[in-house]
Amino acid sequence: MSVGLAILLGLLLVLLALAARRGDGVLGRGLQRAIEQFAHLAPRLLGAMLAAGFLAPLLPREHVASLLGAEAGVQAVLVASLAGLLVPAGPVVAFPIAAVFAQSGASTPALVAFLTAWTLYAAHRIVLYEIPLVGVSFLRLRALSVALLPMLAGGIALFAGWCATLVAARPI
Amino acid sequence: MTVTPSPDASPRSATPPTPTTVTTITTERRATERRATERRATERRATEHGGAEEDGALPGNGAHGGAFRDPGWWLTLLHNAFGRGFWGFLALALASAGACYTLLGRDVFLAALDAQAAALGSIAPRIVVALLVAGLLWVMLPRQRVAQLVGRDAGMRGLLIALAAGTLTPGGPTSAFALLAVLAGTGASRGVLITYITAWALLGVQRMVVWDVPLMGFDFSATRFLVSLPLPVLAGLIAMRLPVELRVGGAAPGKGER
Repeated sequence: MSVGLAILLGLLLVLLALAARRGDGVLGRGLQRAIEQFAHLAPRLLGAMLAAGFLAPLLPREHVASLLGAEAGVQAVLVASLAGLLVPAGPVVAFPIAAVFAQSGASTPALVAFLTAWTLYAAHRIVLYEIPLVGVSFLRLRALSVALLPMLAGGIALFAGWCATLVAARPI
Repeated sequence: MTVTPSPDASPRSATPPTPTTVTTITTERRATERRATERRATERRATEHGGAEEDGALPGNGAHGGAFRDPGWWLTLLHNAFGRGFWGFLALALASAGACYTLLGRDVFLAALDAQAAALGSIAPRIVVALLVAGLLWVMLPRQRVAQLVGRDAGMRGLLIALAAGTLTPGGPTSAFALLAVLAGTGASRGVLITYITAWALLGVQRMVVWDVPLMGFDFSATRFLVSLPLPVLAGLIAMRLPVELRVGGAAPGKGER
């Protein structure tokens, strides 16, 4: 069992215990919500993952690695930040793409930058929610305020990885 | 959630109006009424909907439990599951499968199929558990109360509270942006608003639990979370110093054209 699944299961047990103790129907409503979300997401995610899985071998691996791989360093972070801007869809699309990048040799800092850029600038979210609910002036302020964040996130991840290799290489 | 009527409406009408001010007052009052209605609608949207990332919650059914015995709920569920989005993704999957087979041959195609079966086998249980966690968090974490933690405090304390509130706000953009609009209406500072929505986007529990951990693994998710932790506050600090005009929330005092 992976660490991720173990942590999710632990979290689930805690929440189940809390919900059972409250005993005010919160368990049923949570379950209903989970089923609704599953019905909505699972078929779409299955399609998106199949598509990504068949497109992955079509991607030229050495190109992805040279653009987004660990050797590309800072350049990988820049390219990934730009790539993240180009995904105008929800997580059903963005995360399978990130997974394919990861399989094709993209580095962790590049993936961090990619997902950060996507989540901050996802166009569908801006059009459907941000502009109608808080307006264009807020979008302008936000877009400017967070402009450096994808590269910063990737940069910090790059720095952290570099520190980790230094520590690992230190003679004891 | 209470909607306080705009305070500037009543005191002004106490002064004896001349014919010209009467018209301005009525238009003004009409404007404030309209804003109040809009805000109420926004708040209603915040409570009713939520959705993973793409809307999600079925309208009309989200408020109460006991939907499992309602055949209409199951029908809506089925309709929602196999809606247009699903067929679009399925078509894309078939097209890419065809491209893979014709361009790279049978062996690569079968290898890809094999790899996907393995990936699905490991991701499916994680998604199921993650959605159960997200569903329970959704009903147990009171979104309005989380958002109400965010006050008018514009200093570092205010930004740190906004960071925590944005991270803890469950649900997708429907709820997060609706709550953001409510916060803007209560006169929260621009730094706080930017920090709140950036924290939700980068660190939000739902994205971490449903997407990062099942699809990217725990190590990557932890790295992304730790790396992103200081960034929403930084964005808020930048927003406070940017000379950009901000007009949100209509009656927000001390801001905008009033």
